[in-house]
Amino acid sequence: MSTPAAGRGPMTRLLAALGLSGRALVIAVPLAWLALFFLVPFLVVAKISLSEAAIARPPYTPLWEWEGLRVTLFLNFENYAYLWRDALYLDAYLFSISTAFISAAVALVVGYPMAYFIARSPEPRRTLLLMLVILPFWTSFLLRVYAWQGFLRDTGVVNGLLTGLGIIDEPLRLLQTNFAVYLGIVYTYLPFMILPLYATLVKLEQDLLEASADLGARPVATFLTITLPLSVPGMIAGFLLVFIPAIGEFVIPELLGGPDTLMIGRVLWNEFFGSRDWPVASAVAIVMLLVVVVPIVFLRQIQAHAEERVK
Amino acid sequence: MRRGLFLPVVCTLGFVFLYAPIVSLVVYSFNDSRLVTVWGGFSTRWYVQLFTDPQILGAAWISLQVAAISATLAVALGTLAAYVLTRFGPFRGRAILTGMATAPLVMPEVITGLSLLLLFVAMEQIIGWPGGRGMTTIIIAHVTFCMAYVAVVVQSRLSGMDESLEEAAMDLGARPVRVFFDVTIPVIAPALVAGWLLAFTLSLDDLVIASFVTGPGASTLPMIIFSKVRLGVSPDINALATIIIAVVALGVVVATWQMRRSMRGRRTS
Amino acid sequence: MPDTQTVAARKPWLDPAQKPFVRIQKVTKKFGDFTAVWDVSLDIFKGELFCLLGGSGSGKSTLLRMIAGFEAPTSGRIEIDGQDMTHVAPYDRPTNMMFQSYALFPHMTVERNVAYGLLREGMARDKAMERVAAMLKLVQLTPFAGRKPHQLSGGQRQRVALARALVKRPKLLLLDEPLGALDKKLREETQFELVKIQETLGITFMVVTHDQEEAMTLSSRIGVMNEGEIVQVGEPNEIYEFPHSRFVADFVGSVNIFEGRVIEDEPDFIRLASPEAGCDIHVGHGVACTLNQTLWYAVRPEKMRLSRTDPGGAFNRVQGVVQEIAYLGNLSIFRVRLDSGKVVRATRANVARVDEEAISWDERVWVSWTDTAGVVLNR
Repeated sequence: MSTPAAGRGPMTRLLAALGLSGRALVIAVPLAWLALFFLVPFLVVAKISLSEAAIARPPYTPLWEWEGLRVTLFLNFENYAYLWRDALYLDAYLFSISTAFISAAVALVVGYPMAYFIARSPEPRRTLLLMLVILPFWTSFLLRVYAWQGFLRDTGVVNGLLTGLGIIDEPLRLLQTNFAVYLGIVYTYLPFMILPLYATLVKLEQDLLEASADLGARPVATFLTITLPLSVPGMIAGFLLVFIPAIGEFVIPELLGGPDTLMIGRVLWNEFFGSRDWPVASAVAIVMLLVVVVPIVFLRQIQAHAEERVK
Repeated sequence: MRRGLFLPVVCTLGFVFLYAPIVSLVVYSFNDSRLVTVWGGFSTRWYVQLFTDPQILGAAWISLQVAAISATLAVALGTLAAYVLTRFGPFRGRAILTGMATAPLVMPEVITGLSLLLLFVAMEQIIGWPGGRGMTTIIIAHVTFCMAYVAVVVQSRLSGMDESLEEAAMDLGARPVRVFFDVTIPVIAPALVAGWLLAFTLSLDDLVIASFVTGPGASTLPMIIFSKVRLGVSPDINALATIIIAVVALGVVVATWQMRRSMRGRRTS
Repeated sequence: MPDTQTVAARKPWLDPAQKPFVRIQKVTKKFGDFTAVWDVSLDIFKGELFCLLGGSGSGKSTLLRMIAGFEAPTSGRIEIDGQDMTHVAPYDRPTNMMFQSYALFPHMTVERNVAYGLLREGMARDKAMERVAAMLKLVQLTPFAGRKPHQLSGGQRQRVALARALVKRPKLLLLDEPLGALDKKLREETQFELVKIQETLGITFMVVTHDQEEAMTLSSRIGVMNEGEIVQVGEPNEIYEFPHSRFVADFVGSVNIFEGRVIEDEPDFIRLASPEAGCDIHVGHGVACTLNQTLWYAVRPEKMRLSRTDPGGAFNRVQGVVQEIAYLGNLSIFRVRLDSGKVVRATRANVARVDEEAISWDERVWVSWTDTAGVVLNR
């Protein structure tokens, strides 16, 4: 039996000598990493969005200058004014939001019955189906989008099939359309929709459904009055998990969309890599951040609420 | 409940939707013809071309290294974050840590990529590190967004774990660090493995963030694929995709099988 | 003092010269606004098997966890064997705990589970294994040493948990609902086994339970907890026959309680007028009270007599109608609605296999009790 006098281990004593508790250190490591590489970068972006583009390395004017003890700040809101003036940017934001919204809605409509079916399947089929949903997620996202290129191009599988069957004579223009972008987003983000839906639906106790049936509700009524209301948190979570990242999507509009499919992620990419205008790219990013931060906070609250209910 | 046909049909169509493109990649990787619509006979020439392309092989090697290192660091940091959030109760900075540990999951990649690049540039100006960009900066970026995924996976396992296991170890005389390695880690090991694999895959797959934070000489596999794909049909990419799919499918099947086996052992308890 | 007698027979708590082994002094625990444990003081003596009995949320588990060191008291002091333990970490305390969920490490064999604590205190491996083997023999698990917890039955796992907690020879063993997860039959067998092991090793046990029967069978003394407070401490028969309050009387076993007003207060008896009972209640001993004070009289169902004929006398007898009879095999419980409207419970032992004269439903009966059958309560 150890006595209290034997007290603390050597590690604890060392830390105490440094004025640290082990607990504080354990908290500090992930906190410091995320603060430095997740939080501070946004401040840097905000800072650079307020500077001017310049032909220099790095290609922007410094935000402040040191002269002895005097600091001169150069705040330049020109980049934001530029985003507002040029219709291209506003259009791109609105188009991104509407595209993300439509895609998330379609994913919900497609994903809900799938999640429902999986959640109601007996084991071991349930695990198998769930695995099948997750499996594509483990394979390269880029390659899956590329696969759709092969499907949708004029000489692609879909057109080949349709002309082969004599349904159409001319190949349909599928690639480089908004339709292809919606399709691509629904396709790649579908697992993100199905998983939270599945999680809420599978927790729905069979007893509830049986109780409802016992009290005289037909299956459709049970679904509408019990299942659907109780799965709302899963629906919202799934919707947001598709909606938020889809707003900033770059690869899908780039590979499947046409030249006029200007989603904001693509605009940012072009601004940065094409025009090398870092300050404008930063301003684009900051505005995009403001657009996504509201749904992110909302999502976080739903998740916190769900956690509390579990407790 | 009435056994309707609606659900099975929708579900089947959903799976066709998910898998048809993948299957087509596999099929056409063995197509001798360059054209997708024409079957030119069975051939493995795209595989041969793939394995003799030094650019692709080099990029693949870089990607694998980056993914392995990033995944390992992400598991370490993500597990710490998850542990702190599930076990430490209230502390100052908890709200911030919670937010930062989940936000990278949904943060648009272009924002993450751009902001990290600008950070690296600023850091280089101020403290002279990192000198230039390349594998190191990609790894840092990947650790940051992968650790969020790891944290989520590990957190759910930790909160499902019976806390009295840890208390029992402490009660029997183990100090907190000892408890963590003797009890917590072995019990959550499946989540750590899952988290590592997830982080590895995400890192291996990332195009956007890596494109921002990389420097000359460090092109990852997705970057090469992207530049090839942009130019049009490249059947050797089909071959590459097939290999990736085969490896992943095998891995997932083995992992699921393993997990089910250990779960079955637990469930009888 | 030679330990030839069991603690239950020696009753050290009656001897003011005896030093308590565990002292809990004015311990309070708050979680935010919620007070889980309020001003608890408790002395436990060496070799006792002390039960904390209470419903869920009574604070009994929190108190146990404070003794184990998992929670720090908001105020107060905990002392074990003369040493202040209030703020000592669990891994430095001379206590071990058997968890309600058993908390067996799923990735270790039975043997390694039991050896874990010994190895943590730095005992040499072969010596530790010797101790483990002896302990496994004591709990009859030697053939299962190499198994993992999930390969054991519930009863076996319970014994592994016990062995793991005992092998370090703690000064105080804490048991959180030790038999809660076992089915009734196994629970009864295990109760006696637990007492036997406790007596063999002479370790002080502190058990938390919500099961009064378990507390009655196991313990040398019981502390009844309610809403964070200890409401009564005493030997099992004291708690049952001499409860201090209506709460304890009602919580431990079942009871009929009549409200009454003191109408006669003599040195050797008192009389209560009880409209609730429908008759005067005569108590055959003196009670510290004043005239017209409201008191409660509690009588256990087994001390209530049922008869078809008038038992005679002027008090402690009322008439009523049998409403329900529950046949439990060894005894039957009668629910009788008195003429006052109050429903009382009375039990009768089923001494004969077939009782031709048995009282049945809707019969009008006399309910009576002696003047020493009940206890007078003032709260």
